[in-house]
Amino acid sequence: MSSVQSPVAPPSNSAPHSVAEDTVQLTGVRKCYDEFVAVADLTLTIHPGGIYGLLGPNGAGKTSTIRMLMGITIPDAGQITVFGEPLGRAHMDQFGYLPEERGLYKKMKVLDHLVFLGQLKGLSSTEATKRANSWCERFEFSSWVGKKIEELSKGMQQKVQFIGAILHDPRLIIMDEPFTGLDPANAVALKDVLLEMAKSGKTILLSTHRMDQVERLCQSICLINHGRAVLEGDLNQIKAGYGRQNIQIKYDGDARFLQEKRLVQSFNDYGNYVEVRLAPGADSQELLRLASSHARLDRFEVMEPSLEEIFIDVVGKSNA
Amino acid sequence: MRNTWVILKREYLERVRTRTFLVLTLLAPAFMTALMILPAKLATMGEQREHIVIVASSQQLGDNIRRQLWAEPLISEENEDNGAKPKPEDHYTIDVDTTATEAERTALRDKIAAREIDGFLWLTDEAIATHAVSWDGREMAGSREESWIGDAVNRVLQQQELTRKGLTAAQSDELLKPVKIETFRIDNGRETKSSGSGRFLEIIVMVMLIYVAVLLYGISVMRSVLEEKTSRIIEVLLSSASSTELMTGKLLGVGAVGLTQIVAWTVMAGVIALPSLASQPNFSELQLSPLVMVSFALYFLLGYLLFSTMYAAIGAIATTEQEGQQLQFIIVIPLVLSVFMLSPVIRTPDSAAVVWMSMIPFFSPIVMYARIVVQTPPLWQIGLSLALMVATIAGLVVLCARIYRIGVLIYGKRPNLPEIMKWLKYAKA
Repeated sequence: MSSVQSPVAPPSNSAPHSVAEDTVQLTGVRKCYDEFVAVADLTLTIHPGGIYGLLGPNGAGKTSTIRMLMGITIPDAGQITVFGEPLGRAHMDQFGYLPEERGLYKKMKVLDHLVFLGQLKGLSSTEATKRANSWCERFEFSSWVGKKIEELSKGMQQKVQFIGAILHDPRLIIMDEPFTGLDPANAVALKDVLLEMAKSGKTILLSTHRMDQVERLCQSICLINHGRAVLEGDLNQIKAGYGRQNIQIKYDGDARFLQEKRLVQSFNDYGNYVEVRLAPGADSQELLRLASSHARLDRFEVMEPSLEEIFIDVVGKSNA
Repeated sequence: MRNTWVILKREYLERVRTRTFLVLTLLAPAFMTALMILPAKLATMGEQREHIVIVASSQQLGDNIRRQLWAEPLISEENEDNGAKPKPEDHYTIDVDTTATEAERTALRDKIAAREIDGFLWLTDEAIATHAVSWDGREMAGSREESWIGDAVNRVLQQQELTRKGLTAAQSDELLKPVKIETFRIDNGRETKSSGSGRFLEIIVMVMLIYVAVLLYGISVMRSVLEEKTSRIIEVLLSSASSTELMTGKLLGVGAVGLTQIVAWTVMAGVIALPSLASQPNFSELQLSPLVMVSFALYFLLGYLLFSTMYAAIGAIATTEQEGQQLQFIIVIPLVLSVFMLSPVIRTPDSAAVVWMSMIPFFSPIVMYARIVVQTPPLWQIGLSLALMVATIAGLVVLCARIYRIGVLIYGKRPNLPEIMKWLKYAKA
């Protein structure tokens, strides 16, 4: 595996672009289907390089946003610019797209299918064949390239679809829920490729509702709800802005300190430990003193807020 | 342009590599050959020597009739105008019976029932005088036998009458000689001998080919559009190519398959079928003129493309294959109507109704082609019908492309007409 030369190292034919130029810029974008407003006044900026997380509950407008970005649907209002230019057909060859709902021609052979997808993005047949073979080797299913898509397992089909999306070495890669349906080993392989590409200067837009993935992979995020961005920016800054309100406590003995409403807003007992959310304005040191006077403490740790909490908090507020 | 080509190539290769293509390429010529040879073979097969009896008051009258029957060749639809006319001696045994009694008549009827004879002609003097000449047969006399026997009886009786009135045998023969009408067709100022049955065959071949090709490949176009929608590959495709590029590529690919099919058939016909067909008596009548051959290729291809485009539209609207099958009547109706129109087209190829019908793109492939085969219509009419077909196909492709693009967003229910209209308006943006 390690002997295989990574196809990611880009023999990039795309012109070098200035860092100042944003990869994607959405301004006041709006999309309605009949009465239903899928995207309402969405503004976001994706800077070049790295992985950008597009987060939101089901039906928030993630897929509608991506479809507009891919030129499949056209916004009713607002502007989309890509690499500093208004979005146009010409940009499509620089995009790689893995839609949420996977689709491949079932009767086609794996290699033929990959070459077809590559050619649609402007690769020559020989170049597409070369790259497809190299990627299949990396994902360890070279022996399957002659098989028909319908003979492959769901997970393998997904790998084929993923390779099809990145075969032409795109500048912007859009992945809609890329990890669903993959077993852990393949999810890791896919994650490695995404990180590699991000390091090599590609911009990756990762759309998901899985907080843990975003937390581990993304540098910047946009949280959308009801078609609006409710939170956008650098993940670390967002977390810092939320303060350190959570405390994990592992204890033995009297648990009455958890009932202290002045200090504890809420708590969640996970069995091995409890996670406490401090009341607004409360001091963690005061809770520590109170807890140690009641129980024997094994661990007392002030935590960074998890994205999940921020998510629930923000979505809760914006729904209110 | 590049995308259209890539899609065209995929659609073409994926179809040509299928078993359906191979089977159709091989079977269609075999089927056509059978269609031309079988009817003739069937007509001569199983024909046995028949035994008929002429009951006449005098031996001389009976002999005269028999002589006349032997002299008169059997005429039938299939062997009209060609040299190999079946001789009556080969097919019939004719006896003359002068026992003209009612008892004999009953006995002969019993013989028919017992299958000893196949029929008898009751031609007694009394029957002639009272116009009660009759034929009793095991089977209903076919039109062939009826005219064969009827002509012979009339001829002999007329001759007898003329001889009685004093004419010599030669004079009466001269008088009774029938006038034979030969049919000619003026084709671009050239005179060609023609017969209706040969012309009809050319049209039927066209109808069959269009029908088979449209049903097989048209449905495959519908399926592939549906597959792209239900498997959601449409999203990947639309992120690389415009829906018009997709539809154009798809239909040109499908059209290329049709073209390949024609070329394959032509080559096969040249290599395999022609020598055996040429020996068929009917074949000389086909006389395919260059105009007919070119228009065959054009109308087949365009017709096939037009109906395939309609199938693509159905695929774009429907959400499941069953729904698609239900909508197929849109395609089948014009085809069936064209076939119904064939008889008036062949009889009156330049009547106003036929001319206008042949201009409507959905009928042109069969109706206009039939007109060209029967009687060369003015060139501007051919040109106009071709142009209208091309324009309709182009319009349908654009329409399909729009519906297809909206298809990304459809889940579940098939849209109704007002909804489709709304999409079309919406998709303009």
